[in-house]
Amino acid sequence: MSTSNQSHEMSQHGSKASASTSEGKRKNQKTSRKAVYKRYNTLGQSSGSPALGHPQSGARKSLKDMTKAERRALQEQKVLEKQDRKAAGLPSSAKKASEQEAHRKVASPKIGSTANTPQSPAPDAEKQAKKQQKRLNEVPWLSHLDPPKKPNTASNTNKDLHPAVLALGLRFAEHKMVGSNARCVAMLMTFAKIIQDHKPPSDASFSRHIQKYLDPHIAYLLSVRPMSLSMRECIRWLKKEISEIVEEDPPLTDESARNRLVERIEYFIKERITVADRLIVENGMQKIQNGDVILTYAKSSVVEALLLEAKRSGYEFRVVVVDSRPMFEGKHLLRRLVSAGIDCTYVLLSSIYVVLKDVTKVILGAHALLNNGAVYSRIGTAMVAMAASDKQIPVMVCCETYKFVNRTQVDSLVLNEMGNPDELVVKKSNDENSSNSLTNWRDVPNLRLLNLHYDVTPSKHITLVVTEVGLIPCTSAPVIWREYNEEFRKGVQAK
Amino acid sequence: MVLSKALEAHVESFISRLKRRQIVGSYEVAKETAIILRQVVSTTRWSDATVLIQIIKDLGRRLSAAQPKELAVGNIVRRVLKIIKEVVRGELETDDIMNSGTSEESDDGFSDDDEEDNEEDSDREFKSILAQDTNDNADHTNDAIPARPKLQTESSMFNLLVDQHSDNVDYSAKSYGMKPLIIQEINEEIIADLETVYKGIADQALEHIHANEVIMTIGYSRTVKDFLTKAALKRNFQVIVAETSPTLQGQEMAAALAAVGIETTVITDSAVYAVMSRVNKVVIGAHAVLANGGLVAVTGSQMVAAAAKHHATPVLVCTALYKLSPLFPYDIDLFNVCVTPDQVLSFSEGTLIDKADVQNPYYDFVAPEFVNLFVHNLGSAPPSYVYRLINDNYDSEDTIL
Repeated sequence: MSTSNQSHEMSQHGSKASASTSEGKRKNQKTSRKAVYKRYNTLGQSSGSPALGHPQSGARKSLKDMTKAERRALQEQKVLEKQDRKAAGLPSSAKKASEQEAHRKVASPKIGSTANTPQSPAPDAEKQAKKQQKRLNEVPWLSHLDPPKKPNTASNTNKDLHPAVLALGLRFAEHKMVGSNARCVAMLMTFAKIIQDHKPPSDASFSRHIQKYLDPHIAYLLSVRPMSLSMRECIRWLKKEISEIVEEDPPLTDESARNRLVERIEYFIKERITVADRLIVENGMQKIQNGDVILTYAKSSVVEALLLEAKRSGYEFRVVVVDSRPMFEGKHLLRRLVSAGIDCTYVLLSSIYVVLKDVTKVILGAHALLNNGAVYSRIGTAMVAMAASDKQIPVMVCCETYKFVNRTQVDSLVLNEMGNPDELVVKKSNDENSSNSLTNWRDVPNLRLLNLHYDVTPSKHITLVVTEVGLIPCTSAPVIWREYNEEFRKGVQAK
Repeated sequence: MVLSKALEAHVESFISRLKRRQIVGSYEVAKETAIILRQVVSTTRWSDATVLIQIIKDLGRRLSAAQPKELAVGNIVRRVLKIIKEVVRGELETDDIMNSGTSEESDDGFSDDDEEDNEEDSDREFKSILAQDTNDNADHTNDAIPARPKLQTESSMFNLLVDQHSDNVDYSAKSYGMKPLIIQEINEEIIADLETVYKGIADQALEHIHANEVIMTIGYSRTVKDFLTKAALKRNFQVIVAETSPTLQGQEMAAALAAVGIETTVITDSAVYAVMSRVNKVVIGAHAVLANGGLVAVTGSQMVAAAAKHHATPVLVCTALYKLSPLFPYDIDLFNVCVTPDQVLSFSEGTLIDKADVQNPYYDFVAPEFVNLFVHNLGSAPPSYVYRLINDNYDSEDTIL
């Protein structure tokens, strides 16, 4: 069989050219065989290989149609390409190399510079490629988490996406928009806009096509920054809504389906976020008295609203804002509180025990409330809650019910988000000898930087949770989740 | 009490550097204090021990007042005072034994004999007490003759708990061999000891670190760095360093450890509780150890120790004995110093710094219940044993300088 001979010859060539480990040889054989079959089966263009001087530059001739000479020329060209790729330190398969190219364009410039020097011999380049992979700050016990991502604005797969989503993704990636409420609301409103603008293709109805249309947008948002737990809950809810529309009998018209979805999204935002926040503030105000010294950590939109409302109602209290590197979110909260005229103290997390002497209560925000009553929140919250509960200071968590999720975590490492490790390195741009001890940390083989975003506070540190349905102990979270999901579903069906 | 001009200049320069926090860190401060005190002993004119003790006390008061949070100053002064008193006691005993019989000082007789015998021992504090015990019992039977005060039977047990000899020694006795002895003792006991402190602690590293362990530390402590470096020669383990904002000492520590070849991970302070479930041991350094076993350490240490306690992770504190202070933390704020708030909320934030109260404490107080073990240059001790170490190193009269 000509094809099998072909593949055999190619693999032999491939293995001779690589001079790498046996694993690499096997990989080469496998991928070259795959490449052959791919070309044989489809007429699609394979990336990276230029036209063969063929009159038709668009489509490529299948191997069967080529003469033997042409086939040999194709082989040799592939071998040369492979050698070039190896010398440049990229993995030897064409598919992986193109993937990495896309990655490399936005990855650290160091790797890019080594890729531009193809003079290094083949085995060295292979080792370098492996080392580069490792150098991307892989903390071994967190290798199950996604490494920090960068938005892939260069790729042309994004041209099918709605521009609002692209803008939103960039804002998430650059941390211009942080905080679970803000991100959730922004995401839902963007989806509402997408749904509004969407015109389904002529062969599909709106209700059936909208799901497929939204999926790449969701995937894009996932690729720029891992979803917050509450965002995932919202998306789950949205998908449920969409599937319910599809099941409507008689089927809805496009216009009415669109309007209904947009309406439902707006209702969700209003009911479970905006009005919920107002109710939380009302419920939380019961717990604030004159003379209180309230400690809060980082910046939570609900806690901010609560404190501002308390000031407006005329209570006399002090606030201690505790902040931490590298995000310094507490500073924004401090600014807002100070401009409202609240007496504030500002410290960093490491000095919390010094200020805890005067504190009467601690109010924290949450990112999500887990099924076992633990709070999934900004990293450092667990420390604050632990310190306060050790001193018998009550810890209140303000959390809307849409943030109650149906999953459990017993430690903070199983599911988390890793941020950009370079944020830990302080850049003193004014100083001449600005070299911090970590400026070239990537060069040091044993050094890794870890920038986690979230942690889990066990329920034993938390006194109570303020939600829009009232003040509950944190262990009642799964009950609320169940009630709310059933009731909400019933409410929708009744409509 | 008048010091020579050169010495006075030296003292003044030291005091102003202490005040401006240009000299920070117990090791540097201790060394310089010891050198100054040695010079004082050698250059000032004193006729008997009382005068010398007074000079040292006054100078010690001046130095501690310059920077009360640098407890190492006071510690070294108290060590020197104890050395003086012991040397004097030793001299007087040799004089007594040579000049008179044992009848008058029968009370001191047997115990002082032991003191004299054990004077040259390095662990004289421990051995003298033990020797006392055996000799007490031995002499009991021998001296069961009357003319001994009734207190004798009680004092033999009492001696185990309290250093009673200070009442019976007359420091105003003149002895001319004391000066070189005192200077020699200061050199050996204090200054030379300071040099070997790091080695003494590092040598115990292998007893406390097992293979494939994950150790957490915070701040930059030379003691801990030497401890871990020594262990890394024989064992394979990983270190997680909390970066200790706002000074970011932890980052320097991580760079130093990684340079030695230890696998290091730098985390933010906020991540300490989150990663604590992964950690097998916490090793921290101390700025000072207080009389109840608590410590004054870099800010963030209490946080790390509390998180470790919640996860039942043992906490080791590597500290040298010169950091041991006989003061009690009646008010924990007394030992803390607040440095510039610029590091917390920088001046570039504008008018915000006027409206908010910004604090930047440099130290943290860690209560003794959070510490499992003190690893010091002469061995290791749990926090409950610290009072004993203090008794051995300092005289109870000198607690207030």
